[in-house]
Amino acid sequence: MNETREPIISLRHVDKHFGALHVLKAINLDVYKGEVVVVIGPSGSGKSTLCRTINRLETIDSGEILFEGKPLPLEGKELAALRSHIGMVFQSFNLFAHMSILDNVTLGPVDVLHTPKKEAREEARRLLDRVGVLSQESKVPAQLSGGQQQRAAIARSLAMHPKVMLFDEPTSALDPEMIGEVLDVMTTLAADGMTMVVVTHEMNFARRVASRVIFMDSGSIVEEAAPDAFFTNPRTERARSFLQSIHGH
Amino acid sequence: MSSVRISARDMLYEEPGPKAKRRIRIVTGISLAALAALAAAVIHRFYITGQLDPRYWSFFARGTTWTFLGKGLLGTMEAALMAGVLAFAAGFFLMLGRISSIRLLRGLCIALIEFTRGVPTLLFIYFFFLVIPQFGIQMDAFWKISIPVAISACGVVAEVLRSGVNAVPKGQTEAALSLGMRGRSVFLKVVFPQAIRFVIPALIAELVIVVKDTTFAYVVNFPDLMQNAKVLISNYDALLSVYLVVAVIYIVINYLLNRLSDRIAAKQKKPAERRA
Repeated sequence: MNETREPIISLRHVDKHFGALHVLKAINLDVYKGEVVVVIGPSGSGKSTLCRTINRLETIDSGEILFEGKPLPLEGKELAALRSHIGMVFQSFNLFAHMSILDNVTLGPVDVLHTPKKEAREEARRLLDRVGVLSQESKVPAQLSGGQQQRAAIARSLAMHPKVMLFDEPTSALDPEMIGEVLDVMTTLAADGMTMVVVTHEMNFARRVASRVIFMDSGSIVEEAAPDAFFTNPRTERARSFLQSIHGH
Repeated sequence: MSSVRISARDMLYEEPGPKAKRRIRIVTGISLAALAALAAAVIHRFYITGQLDPRYWSFFARGTTWTFLGKGLLGTMEAALMAGVLAFAAGFFLMLGRISSIRLLRGLCIALIEFTRGVPTLLFIYFFFLVIPQFGIQMDAFWKISIPVAISACGVVAEVLRSGVNAVPKGQTEAALSLGMRGRSVFLKVVFPQAIRFVIPALIAELVIVVKDTTFAYVVNFPDLMQNAKVLISNYDALLSVYLVVAVIYIVINYLLNRLSDRIAAKQKKPAERRA
């Protein structure tokens, strides 16, 4: 990595507890512009929580998270403004159930950026076309397949022109035949230079697209490496046994 | 079951076997016979007590009778609609206070909700009819019935709305927040529109109660259906026939409301069924 550049996201010694459970232990992580950081690890390792702390959907107990060099605002208008720069894609899509696909994509720009409705619609159609669900624009989310919903959710995030995109297990709720279509969209995004933090179980995606792989276990970052190095020659015993257990399937 | 639709009954019970089917037929037969016997007994009682006498029924052949009842029905609908709108507005704000993070406001709203739910409608009506005028406040009979009925319903409306808000998945709020939307926008544009869809059947059930509560209009001399029925009763000295007809009218109104609620509920399930 280019050491002279400032990281766009920086976590410094971040700790978080859920009651007695220590979910994040002294996490240090820098994400640079244009990077695709893929976070993998067993369930319960804290990777989703880590992802959600970056736009403060989860608060932290101690440590510091910086976005473009500035600490995350704690609340209010400033926090909302920060979130508008960070796109988020959820495991369960979370499209607004009562709105058409098109309205899902225009709500953010119209409500937050005060984009004129007509302009927002044009841009939304362009984005829906880009992710291949333009033909579904007037349907409500429940009428779409999971893969279509997740692609629409990605379009909804892109409509805010985010500087970073967070993906919290974006394919974990999808049928196998739909995983590919979502990963394809994400691969294109990465190729276009989007900065991405991706929590996933899709090892092939990690291998192909990641700039860096972060391996987490029981709340700690255990290993951090280039994808090739990580998958062919993991340094830690825990990463090795995790990879073995996955290949076993 | 030949129909494809799955009813609640299908989910709770398994398909009846041959023995169960025979038992169902027998019980159905006995029930029908019992109902027929009851109806016959009622008509017989009517006959021997003279209630079938034409003088109790003939005035229903006159147009003026129906115009008069129609005016009453209109009064009932106006009062019920106004009470419904007021109850919804008050219920909405009570619900907002109830889910507020400000403890004092929340406590106050809980107290108000429990108060309006706990006190009988008639007491609120007496308050508006007997107490308020003593303070020199003059009010139309229309308001003396619709406001207390609304007060009596608003606590339930608040709780119904709150249950709807709680039923909206947390992910909807998170998605809206992650776009950079502020709390008020998230609630008004994402959470509440979905909440209201969840609870429309319960709100209509409450509207049925509001319609029935407006029958207290006679207390404040507001000419609703019930009040006009009372006038007919004293004019023609015909208690039973008028009450029967009025009961049927109320049943029809509330049946229509319930059908409306069923249709809205069915419409909401549709998108999921149409899933690709």
